[in-house]
Amino acid sequence: MDSKYYNNPFPDTFYSYQMQDHVPPGITIVKSDSLEEWQMDIKVLDENPLYKGHTYRLKFTFNNKYPIVQFIDVPTTSDTPRPIPMHPHIYSNGIICLDLLSTTGWSPVQTVESVCMSLQSMLTANTRDERPPGDSEFVAYNRRRIRDIPFVYEDDNV
Amino acid sequence: MDSFDVPDSTDWLETPLSLLAPLESSLRCQVCKDFFNNPVITSCSHTFCSLCIRRCLSTEGKCPVCRSSDQELKLRRNWAVQEFVETFQNARQSVLDLARKEAARLKDGDSTIREPSPKKRKVDRVDVREEVTVVQASPRRARTRSQRIKNDAPNTEPVPVAQETIEVIEDSQDEGEEEYVPDDGMVACPICQRKMKAHAVFSHLDTCQGITPAPPPPSKPSAFSVAHSSLQPQPNRLQSSPGNAPERIPAMNYSLLKDNLLRKKLRELGIPDWGPRPLLQRRHTEWMNLWNSNCDSRIPKTKRALLQELDIWERTQGGHAAGPSPFATNSAVMRKDFDAAGWSASHDTDFKRLIANARIKSDTQVRSTIPGASEKSTGESSTGSAAPVAPVEAPPDNGIPVESNQNIEPRSFDPSG
Repeated sequence: MDSKYYNNPFPDTFYSYQMQDHVPPGITIVKSDSLEEWQMDIKVLDENPLYKGHTYRLKFTFNNKYPIVQFIDVPTTSDTPRPIPMHPHIYSNGIICLDLLSTTGWSPVQTVESVCMSLQSMLTANTRDERPPGDSEFVAYNRRRIRDIPFVYEDDNV
Repeated sequence: MDSFDVPDSTDWLETPLSLLAPLESSLRCQVCKDFFNNPVITSCSHTFCSLCIRRCLSTEGKCPVCRSSDQELKLRRNWAVQEFVETFQNARQSVLDLARKEAARLKDGDSTIREPSPKKRKVDRVDVREEVTVVQASPRRARTRSQRIKNDAPNTEPVPVAQETIEVIEDSQDEGEEEYVPDDGMVACPICQRKMKAHAVFSHLDTCQGITPAPPPPSKPSAFSVAHSSLQPQPNRLQSSPGNAPERIPAMNYSLLKDNLLRKKLRELGIPDWGPRPLLQRRHTEWMNLWNSNCDSRIPKTKRALLQELDIWERTQGGHAAGPSPFATNSAVMRKDFDAAGWSASHDTDFKRLIANARIKSDTQVRSTIPGASEKSTGESSTGSAAPVAPVEAPPDNGIPVESNQNIEPRSFDPSG
């Protein structure tokens, strides 16, 4: 039992989700049976008219260096039945521009739960019903992995 | 999911002792989420498992919690936390069982409540640790433990009677009179063993640096340390003697070493030296982390055990990491020293096919999204019946949008980009 996440194919983080009862409000586990991919549903809890009543699905893909290297988070329209939320930092193909999901912003102390909560609050705080500038070009041309995209995190308000 | 039943801080939430959940969380490493294993403290005063923080620092050199820069060399062991974790783990199961019984009683036989499941793994772990402690510990450690818990281990060496009596006497002056006054009237400093007149010892003790110029005779220092431990009875406070501690592996500046030299270093360390250079570096880093975190352990593992851990690393992340996960190969491609020329030569046809496909696809998207382009291409497509193929075959006719395609598409498939 001294083995850590590297040696242990079941990182201890994952165990804490065995009990659905203890996930924070507005977050639901949809799929967590494999250790390569998890799906979570999040809801915005307050009265923000942009997101009220909607449920959004997140897909977490874990690499074998997690948590030292961040997971890759790709919620795409094709494999989730959920809508992509309108947000100035969320592209219409589901790619989220959030510094804690990038290589530089990632920290090993983040968990699936903390990322879900960050995204909840990112949605809650938003008032603009728009996509990021250049959304259509980005969606058309981007073939890179998310963590390699050189995002510029200029907006500290979100 | 019973097989996943592993101790977690949320175990407490369903019991009357739900306030213990945050206590347990605070005894867990924020990186691996397990109980602290050989906890060390950073210069920003955050505590992690030794291995976790070493892996983090060797990856990005920052504290995972506060993002301030730190160095591996500045990590210090955190014995208090270690002791706290061990005692908490020892008490955990019985307290939890009690709390769950109470929860069940309060709910008055509600069938939905989780029965206290026997956590075999947890208990085994504690048992093993006890055994290992007794077997592998240095004689000094075994002695203090046997004194503390009256556990008469068969291989504990007999405790000399003289030392037992000294242990009770806490006044160092008496101790000096009994043990340290030789015939010449000189006494030895209990720290550095230098001989001096009896009245000079106390003023000397204030400034003694604890340097031992010559290896001291075995009886006197152990007598002192036993006396010392009687003041602080917890065995954890006793650090392993410096002579037994394995030497740490220093970090290397890989860019200064040629391949052959790096391989030689790995051989000297006794770890595999095969594979391309990036793998050698990663393997060395991993070995350094495993080894140095083991140095932080109160009961260090053998080199053989560490080599087994390195072998697991090799199979999951190193040279033997199979490719069920596509990320392993991707990260190899992303490395700076990746052999881009060789890769593009061996995958040339694939790249060409992908580029061609992508041009077709993106061209249709350009038409649908950019008005100017769609205008132009509708003009074209009205002349040719095979609309999507035409622009690819005649790229110069196209305007700016396709040119930007050419800039973007090959790059996204070119590993060196």
